[in-house]
Amino acid sequence: MRRLRAVALAAVALVLASCAKRDDVTQITVQRIFGECRSAGTGARNPDGECEIITGLLDQFQRENPDIRLKVNIAAWPGYDQLSAQFAAGDPPDLVTMHMSAISDYQSRGLIEPMGPGLESVGVDPAAFTRAAREGVTKNGQVWGLPFDNWAPLWHINLNQFRQAGLVKNGQPILPTSADDLLAQARQFRAATGKPYLVQAMANETASYTRNLYTWLMTQDAAFFPDPKHIKLTTPEAHRIVALFKQMYDENLTTKDQDYPAATSGFMNGDGGVYLVGTWMIGTFEAEAHTPGRPLSGGYAVVPYPRLFGTRDAAFVDGHAWVVPSRERTPAQRAAVYRLVKFLADHDYDWSRTGHLPAMQAVIDSPRFKALPHRQAIAPLATIGQTLPPQVQRQFAIQDIIGDEMASAITGRKPIDTALADAERRVNDLLFHLL
Amino acid sequence: MTAASPRKSRWTNGLFVGPYLLVYLALLLYPLLAGVWLSLHKADLFGGEAFVGIENFSRLLRDTVFLQAVRNTFLFVLLTVPPLAVIALGLAIALNRPTRAAAVFRGVFFSSSVLSVTIVTLIWRLVLIPDGGLIANLLHAVGQPPLPLLSHPNLVLPAIALTTVWWCLGLPMMLYLAALQQVPAELYEAAALDRAGPWKTLTRITLPSIRRTIVLVVIIQCVLQFQLFGQAQLLTQGGPNGASRPIVLFIYEVGFRRWDIGYAAAASEILFGLILVATILQYVTTRDKAASR
Repeated sequence: MRRLRAVALAAVALVLASCAKRDDVTQITVQRIFGECRSAGTGARNPDGECEIITGLLDQFQRENPDIRLKVNIAAWPGYDQLSAQFAAGDPPDLVTMHMSAISDYQSRGLIEPMGPGLESVGVDPAAFTRAAREGVTKNGQVWGLPFDNWAPLWHINLNQFRQAGLVKNGQPILPTSADDLLAQARQFRAATGKPYLVQAMANETASYTRNLYTWLMTQDAAFFPDPKHIKLTTPEAHRIVALFKQMYDENLTTKDQDYPAATSGFMNGDGGVYLVGTWMIGTFEAEAHTPGRPLSGGYAVVPYPRLFGTRDAAFVDGHAWVVPSRERTPAQRAAVYRLVKFLADHDYDWSRTGHLPAMQAVIDSPRFKALPHRQAIAPLATIGQTLPPQVQRQFAIQDIIGDEMASAITGRKPIDTALADAERRVNDLLFHLL
Repeated sequence: MTAASPRKSRWTNGLFVGPYLLVYLALLLYPLLAGVWLSLHKADLFGGEAFVGIENFSRLLRDTVFLQAVRNTFLFVLLTVPPLAVIALGLAIALNRPTRAAAVFRGVFFSSSVLSVTIVTLIWRLVLIPDGGLIANLLHAVGQPPLPLLSHPNLVLPAIALTTVWWCLGLPMMLYLAALQQVPAELYEAAALDRAGPWKTLTRITLPSIRRTIVLVVIIQCVLQFQLFGQAQLLTQGGPNGASRPIVLFIYEVGFRRWDIGYAAAASEILFGLILVATILQYVTTRDKAASR
């Protein structure tokens, strides 16, 4: 009987415990790209990698804010298929990374919230953003995201191989100033090193082709989006860019058939002289440059794309931002979201260690940012960086189409003019059918 | 008082199938009809809808990217279904014996089927990439240059087909094994007494005995391979220049990347029709042959 009573008491205690008021922890869901890894603590393989830094920052926020529980979803790049499915299912996260080029898609459908009042409530002033960052998150006069960075494709250079090819002067790489100059240097490089001048991700890849095209169309001042619903690619400006890459391909002056992971590891293993990839790889390659015995040891440089065409310096840039999807939230959740937003804004310098340009002007101007490796070399991006017109929707889908057709032209499967005409037709068809 | 005839039908008997019918209507029939209705609209994934009749379908028939996807899908089915049907049959015949080694090999050959498409493509990427991949290394060992298996338009579909055959071999093999174990042993004994050779035994006893299973395997594999998606998405993203884009990837891109959900629904209906026609054709063809025997 006594045992029965004890069991009954235990059961009652269990029921009461389950009915007790829950602890005061507020859970919010954060969704990000940048891959999966351990944080940039002791022993991290690449402490300046995107993944390590963002993981470390979110871990730090979690430690410093025990009243908030972060549920972190890691989405595969670029993350929009998953996000669109979540929106369609009515279950988007509370805070999500979004490229500035994708904001207009979601903003135009009312899927994300304007963040102006929320930013103001935690003391983040949009006036503190850089010009490029502010323009990237501002649509129709409202701020729709916390800019985290601006990024651009760059020329990552293996200086050791450049030196071998006689393409270094006063410790600086000799860069081409025209398409003919590039071909001449690439041939010289190949003759001296036996390796291709360019390392490119050409298989299972569309983005890098398109970014190359955008950048050199911009240097030629080509109005390739005459309005947000039309693209114009059947132009001499576009033809000469594609023709240059085709010639590089035909003369084996570039790596071929590598996908993104293969090209990245290939560059680190000394496959070629210049890798065309974005700001986010600076931290990784800089770590390689400090690792003895590696092909990049003591011989890594990075610069914006040289101006091969046209008369003005320009670079296609995009950026990462944090946006708040529209959904029901408790006041506590909203406060938690903006506390995290404030934390991320305050740690923009930490994020800029990846190689991205900071979104906060004060960070760009700070001595500690300027002291980071190669930042002086890429500083011009802050002034020459240019996005696509912000009203252009579905920029990722457009990027896929253009990259697809460019690949066909460069690898010789389609005549250049046919590929450009096909790209133009497909993009315009996509834009025409937008509701 | 007379007992009710067991043959007498009552409407209340229908209640036994009621729960299934409800689930069937809610999860299959309704989405199917909703998809057909959606395909008649110009619709955005997140709002906005206008009735356009058959415009989406006529647009699809003019869309070279979609037509290329249809061609790719048929080619892929041709590249995968016959090998799956034949190789799995060969394996099943070879492993249809009560030995421990056969049991181990049955497990080995089935094991690939339990892997997710992500793992399968990760494994096969390491086999197929020209930059240090297994096939490239083998070719290098015999002095040959690597093959761009994931970036050449003529090689990319066969490469995905190879991956798929490796992945999907387990299920048809098991179906064949189950069928083979139903064939009466007396038939083989009689054949042995009549001094029938292995080929005659195979063609006169084994294959006729498991004919229904062969038809089933071919139909199941056709239905599955028409829906190729994950391998193409993860290995090639449909490239180069659409050479490996199947219909489902086209639907996915249009629906989730372009948010043109009405157009994607129309493409889905066409895929549904293609699978239906292919399946019915196979069924009718094999049934007619069986009836004429």
